[in-house]
Amino acid sequence: MSDITCIATIILAAITQASLQLGLGGLILLYHNSMGKHRRKTTRHLAKNYILGSCAITFLMVCTFCFLIGNFFGGSLSAEWLVVSIGIFAASGSVMWLLYYRKGKKTTELWLPKAFTNFIRKKARNTNDNVEAFSLGLLSSFAEIPFSLAIYFVVANCILNMSGWLQIITAVSYAIFTALPLLVLKFRVKTGKSAIEAQKWRVRNKAFSKVFSGSSFMLLAIFVLAFWVM
Amino acid sequence: MARAKKKITYEYSSDGIKQSILRNAKSAKVAPGWAKQIAERVAKEVDAWIADKEIITEADLRKKIISELEKLNPDIAYAYKNHDKII
Repeated sequence: MSDITCIATIILAAITQASLQLGLGGLILLYHNSMGKHRRKTTRHLAKNYILGSCAITFLMVCTFCFLIGNFFGGSLSAEWLVVSIGIFAASGSVMWLLYYRKGKKTTELWLPKAFTNFIRKKARNTNDNVEAFSLGLLSSFAEIPFSLAIYFVVANCILNMSGWLQIITAVSYAIFTALPLLVLKFRVKTGKSAIEAQKWRVRNKAFSKVFSGSSFMLLAIFVLAFWVM
Repeated sequence: MARAKKKITYEYSSDGIKQSILRNAKSAKVAPGWAKQIAERVAKEVDAWIADKEIITEADLRKKIISELEKLNPDIAYAYKNHDKII
């Protein structure tokens, strides 16, 4: 497979993963709690570490899947495994359209179990140092694993199909690309907007983000089917 | 057999309300002086509302605070109301 096809698949996968909402919600929560009790500089550092945590887990997951494919799948996924991934993408897209957000017009509560969201809320409320913020970033990105598992599989497969040192650059770029919504939020807050305004934007555009995420999953399924299986 | 929920009672604290409003105001990037005035006005209104009541629920207290905040600053009211509905 050519490098161009690999890069196109990775970009589409990164857009799909970036459209997942838990990481962004966690950062808004962190901003909301931290701005209420810390100095601006401390909040900035916490947000930076949260984003670093999110990037780190994405990079590590991609590397892990590269290792798994390299050692247990003979260096490249077979057509059968790619078809399984396509099935998971299609299922994730449907779930995204139907069940990703809980019911309620004015909320952006997600599909996660209540006990788990309460845990994240509590952790965001009690995050006072950079290590805690880093681990919160790790946790909130990792918690979306039911949606991102198949994405990691396909991305790792693409990376292994690329040539030489382009592999490591792509893995790092992928991690940064998936954190783009978090970086945009950080920039917006830095330039004077509040976390509350970001949350209001999320509520207003909830339907759009649901359709966008679901469609991205479907598009990724079609893309992998067309360029990798057929 | 249905299990009765354990009821916990707290003593009402006007300062607690002020602190909580100030935290939400800071998060909504409201100017500190205006935030302090809002916190004091809301606490005063809630104090007056609560004076003739022996016991109230936390939900009623929240509703009263939110309705007062909505008159003064909808952003803080929004933060107060929706902080647990973000994820």
